[in-house]
Amino acid sequence: MSILFRLTTVALLLASSAFAAAKEMSGRWEGSIQIPGRELPLIIDLKGSGEKELTGSVIIQGLGVKGVPLADFAVKANEISFVIKDALGNESVGPAKFQGSLSEGGDVLSGNFVQAGNSAPFSVRKTGTPQVDPPRRSTAIGKDLVGEWKGDYEMDGYPRHVTLTLANSGSGSANAQFAVVGKRTNKPPVEFISDENGFLTFEAPTFGITYEGRLRKEAGEIKGTFKIGPFERPLVLKRTP
Amino acid sequence: MKRLTSAALLLCLTTGFSFAQSMFRGGPAHTGVYTGPAPRSFHRVKWKFPTGDAVVSSPVWSDGAIYFGGDDGNIYAVDAATGRQIWKHATGGPAPSTPAVSDGAVYTLSYDGQLYALDARTGATRWKFSTGGERRFEAKNLHGMLPKNQTIADPFDLFLSSPVVAQGAVYFGSGDGNLYAVDAATGELRWKFQTGDVVHASPAFVDGVLYFGSWDSYFYAVEAATGKQKWRFHGGEDPLIHNQVGFQSSPAVVDGVVYTGCRDAQLYALEAATGKEKWRFDNALSWVITSPAVAEGKIYFATSDSSLYHVVDAATGKSVLKQQDKCYMFSSPAIAGDVVFIGVMNGTLQARDRKSGEVLWSFQTEASKENRGWVLTKDRSFNDPLLYHSAWREAPLIAFGQQLSVGAIFSSPLVVNGVVYFGSCDGNLYALE
Repeated sequence: MSILFRLTTVALLLASSAFAAAKEMSGRWEGSIQIPGRELPLIIDLKGSGEKELTGSVIIQGLGVKGVPLADFAVKANEISFVIKDALGNESVGPAKFQGSLSEGGDVLSGNFVQAGNSAPFSVRKTGTPQVDPPRRSTAIGKDLVGEWKGDYEMDGYPRHVTLTLANSGSGSANAQFAVVGKRTNKPPVEFISDENGFLTFEAPTFGITYEGRLRKEAGEIKGTFKIGPFERPLVLKRTP
Repeated sequence: MKRLTSAALLLCLTTGFSFAQSMFRGGPAHTGVYTGPAPRSFHRVKWKFPTGDAVVSSPVWSDGAIYFGGDDGNIYAVDAATGRQIWKHATGGPAPSTPAVSDGAVYTLSYDGQLYALDARTGATRWKFSTGGERRFEAKNLHGMLPKNQTIADPFDLFLSSPVVAQGAVYFGSGDGNLYAVDAATGELRWKFQTGDVVHASPAFVDGVLYFGSWDSYFYAVEAATGKQKWRFHGGEDPLIHNQVGFQSSPAVVDGVVYTGCRDAQLYALEAATGKEKWRFDNALSWVITSPAVAEGKIYFATSDSSLYHVVDAATGKSVLKQQDKCYMFSSPAIAGDVVFIGVMNGTLQARDRKSGEVLWSFQTEASKENRGWVLTKDRSFNDPLLYHSAWREAPLIAFGQQLSVGAIFSSPLVVNGVVYFGSCDGNLYALE
């Protein structure tokens, strides 16, 4: 057996083994996280192979987490890590993260769940094919919504001036720039926009901001409600001339 | 003669010392200042006294005994030196009111809607006075909780009013919206003053006038002799979610100025004579539940959500210093010597240098260290993303209950003879030295 043949064989075996490990990640995994004094039921759905192709979502019953997207996959041999994208985290504590490894048989994934700096063991067993929830995507917006809008609301006894600039990105979804000027100027990143026949919704989750409003084309305004955390204020956005 | 004078002086000092320690915030003006030494470093837990539920009430000291109420429904007298129970007296509800001790009687309130007058030595009932009944502040869409049209009782309305004893009367607020004046000897009603909502703040008494705030958004000055209103001051309102309204903080009155926190996120300084606003200190939507402590021209207080410890100038309302903490503070700061003591909702008692604000030492309850259910983040902030994941049904209330489980400290610390006493939601009254 030539050296070249031996090396080729080893390389092929390694590649096939890595592929097998990645492939085995795909599936529905059910188990729990053991945080101190509480067991959290856990369902992870993973689909695809390799860290660039993997998609997934998670269900943690009792914490209001259902079909929340997973992101930032890293796979190395039988080890995997990923984060929960839009739940159990915020700007100050960062995202919640799973770091685990597959058992030899490939049917158990176990490791550590890290959230807000706390760490606890988790273990899930493969129970079937994946049922990944499709992530919510921003839509394109109607041409009557495109452009710059301004409005005011009052909170904490002080006026706040907001500017919203809406545009279509060309990839079938819209994007937005949002600025709130009060004592300070904040520009919360808008992560979701939808236009349902003139009913506009946008969200800036890192600031806990949601806006919902109805386009009143004749009046040149969007009349709606601005929410930040538990606080809710009426907000009419007027098109800038 | 000299001996007699010394004895009289000693008696005066003892009486004065005893009196000064024997009601909420150290006396009727509620300054939160305690005489005597304060530990600048932590040596040990001198003792801890277990009860059956949270201890939200603040301890008071009188003649070697510590008096406080428990959410387990009992009023307790505990030996200050040993931590052994002297007596307990059962009431018909939780007792998160701070007792006042005067002329051998202990006066305190329970959620059964009664004011109790007990013998300080034995715990025997002298008399009981029935109010119109207790309740917590409540509102529809409270703090944005769902369903919007459902009236929900506020879980953060934790304290009951703490009685003040002066001029032979016991003065206190009630969930029925009244401020009461009851004869201290007989328990007979002298007068009552109706406000528009729950009164759980403790009235301050200075120069024959009572000062207190109500959840109806007004702060009142009432003549103690007659119950007649002198003036009222309007704080903020929040008709939508009722989050930024109500005086839960108890006032301090010093040198003709009333200092009070408010849930409208302001600390107010009002002229005691007229109710005219001198200044306000804005806390950007964060409640000021703590009752301010006042010493040597400075005001000491802390905030809820922004978790800031503040010292401001009493004359101008300008910031003297500000320290970022980890967690909400509802416990009113206590000043002893050059140290400020304050409880934190993450189950920590802090001792801060009065001048620099630096944390000299802190004590963490075992429940806080255990952090069951990951109530706290690794750095001891509240783990909000995990706790407050839903506004539906009782989820926010359950989350609040979980926050208490780490031994949250709402009790205002008491400092006597170098020992710091306070209650915790882990069910213990602690004595630290």
